[in-house]
Amino acid sequence: MLIKIAWRNIWRNRTRSLVVIGSIVVGVWAILAGTAFMNGFMVSYSADMIEHDISNVQIHNPDFKTDFDINYSINNSEEKVDMISNWEGVLGASSRIISNGMISSPQKAGGVQIRGIDPEKEAIVTGLDSMIIEGAYFEGVKRNPIIIGSKMAKNLKVNVRSKVVLTFTDSNGDVTAGAFRVVGIIKSSSISINELYAFVRKDDISSLLGINREAHEIAVLIDKQYDENIIVSKYKEEYPNDLVETWREIAPELQFMQEMYSSMLYVLMAIIMTALVFGIVNTMLMAVLERTKELGILMAVGMNRIRVFFMIVLETIFISFIGSPIGLLVGAINIYMYSDKGVDLSNYSEGLEAFGYSSFLYPYLEPKVYIIVTIAVFITAIIASLYPAYKAIRLKPVEAIHSI
Amino acid sequence: MEVIKAKDLVKTYSDNDIEVHAVQHIDLSINEGEFTAIVGPSGCGKTTLLNILGGIDEPTSGSVEIAGTEITELKDNDLIDFRLNNIGYVFQAYNLIPVLTAFENTEFIMLMQKWPKEKRTKRAKELLEKVGLADKLNNRPGKLSGGQQQRVAVARALASKPKFVLADEPTANLDSLATTQLLDIMYNLNQEENITFVFATHDQRVMDRAKRIIKLDDGRIIEDHKVD
Repeated sequence: MLIKIAWRNIWRNRTRSLVVIGSIVVGVWAILAGTAFMNGFMVSYSADMIEHDISNVQIHNPDFKTDFDINYSINNSEEKVDMISNWEGVLGASSRIISNGMISSPQKAGGVQIRGIDPEKEAIVTGLDSMIIEGAYFEGVKRNPIIIGSKMAKNLKVNVRSKVVLTFTDSNGDVTAGAFRVVGIIKSSSISINELYAFVRKDDISSLLGINREAHEIAVLIDKQYDENIIVSKYKEEYPNDLVETWREIAPELQFMQEMYSSMLYVLMAIIMTALVFGIVNTMLMAVLERTKELGILMAVGMNRIRVFFMIVLETIFISFIGSPIGLLVGAINIYMYSDKGVDLSNYSEGLEAFGYSSFLYPYLEPKVYIIVTIAVFITAIIASLYPAYKAIRLKPVEAIHSI
Repeated sequence: MEVIKAKDLVKTYSDNDIEVHAVQHIDLSINEGEFTAIVGPSGCGKTTLLNILGGIDEPTSGSVEIAGTEITELKDNDLIDFRLNNIGYVFQAYNLIPVLTAFENTEFIMLMQKWPKEKRTKRAKELLEKVGLADKLNNRPGKLSGGQQQRVAVARALASKPKFVLADEPTANLDSLATTQLLDIMYNLNQEENITFVFATHDQRVMDRAKRIIKLDDGRIIEDHKVD
């Protein structure tokens, strides 16, 4: 009967109840949509970084990471690349020769990280070939082709077929230089690729550096379903002297950002739920005050205070439990609608790309978030019901009966 | 048999430092089967006395004993339970639960007393039949006239088989026909089932039916007599 009375009570003032239910729907939707959008940003940013820049796993000579000296290369790097490429879960592996230097055009000069790559393997690991926006992927010139990022090309004021000069220190510590011709300009959401890296063929740079073809870095791309730690352990067993790191160690800021974005769910939820608490308290308080006389009668005829308390709590829970599933459904449909086709943010692409974000956003939400939000609404409803329920049980029957 | 025994009841309100003596040193005894009207002008303390006798209000001093239990000594929750199981109320403004039907309003008290479903359904239907509302079981208060609502209130008051029924100005909002019908029902229940009724009223029609009249003035009993 208590359930029946509570349920019917919420429909006594239909408009008021619907307003509260509406605010819960909007609140729940806002939490889901907000979180999904933030997740979408983060997931696409992380995926871009892993798939087009840092890869899942990187292998170095431990000393190279400390000194960045080109003489610290990985022994038998090509054999290792071939071996890793055949492992289960590995989509591709590519070795790189890395050297820092200067890049100069007839107009300008700037710092550069020269990356000597195997074009075919690099295309598999980072999809470098797919980033070409002008020119071709190591095609068009036979000698010393170079691919640079769009921002670097703009800074240097060069185009496809322009000549640039790379200046760097060779293995003997002598400053050396080589002329390269731009064959392709690439664009990526990675700031490093756009502004800092210059890609050349491994053979071209190794002879200029005066080193053999041994690489400084091996990048490994792993299937999303596969645990990268398994690859790391397996490699460490084979080659304990090499430094093997996952993207979490290589780019800890990426993991920090992921954690920060996850915690934003709780921040967003706390803000919206707090606003909802005030809305619900206000409505339920009105409902209690307007029914003072009736509550007094109920207590006078023998309804004890515990039952009165639970009746008010139940009314609040019912209101929340009508609003919550609707909000969840609207949010889920909304996210589903955009999860495939994405949200076009190209109007803001310049700003987004400046921070390394893609201009297409694919909202994404982990299923557990729906459960967390449901629980949060339930807790919010209970918290919001406490004060009105307390006010109700503090009524004195004799005074309540004679109230207007 | 004595159902209500009140000793030296005093109720004083303090209103802006001015003391109002609503009930002053009242000794009263009501026996089973009585059909008693507490009468007097407005503000004489009828409703206050009725509320104290029913355990809804606390006296400033004095005691009320109902069927051997001193209710003025009971704690709040015990008092609510005591009211549920021993006292029936009929209020001036009907005061039914608007979201429940006539049947559910009558059943409500029994439900709180945890009666089994079959038993309470049977009693609720019986009572509503007695008050002439067998055809209005599923009507909510909003779909009933004032007289009909008050009859549902009587059925609700009787549902838990209380030791007595307190009725505060039950006819105040009713027309002549509805008043006569309601009084007939209550009078018959009193005569046939020996149910004790105590009214607070200034309605002459109620006084005409009462078997005992207790007249109050300024919170004191100034007259108490039986009517033949």
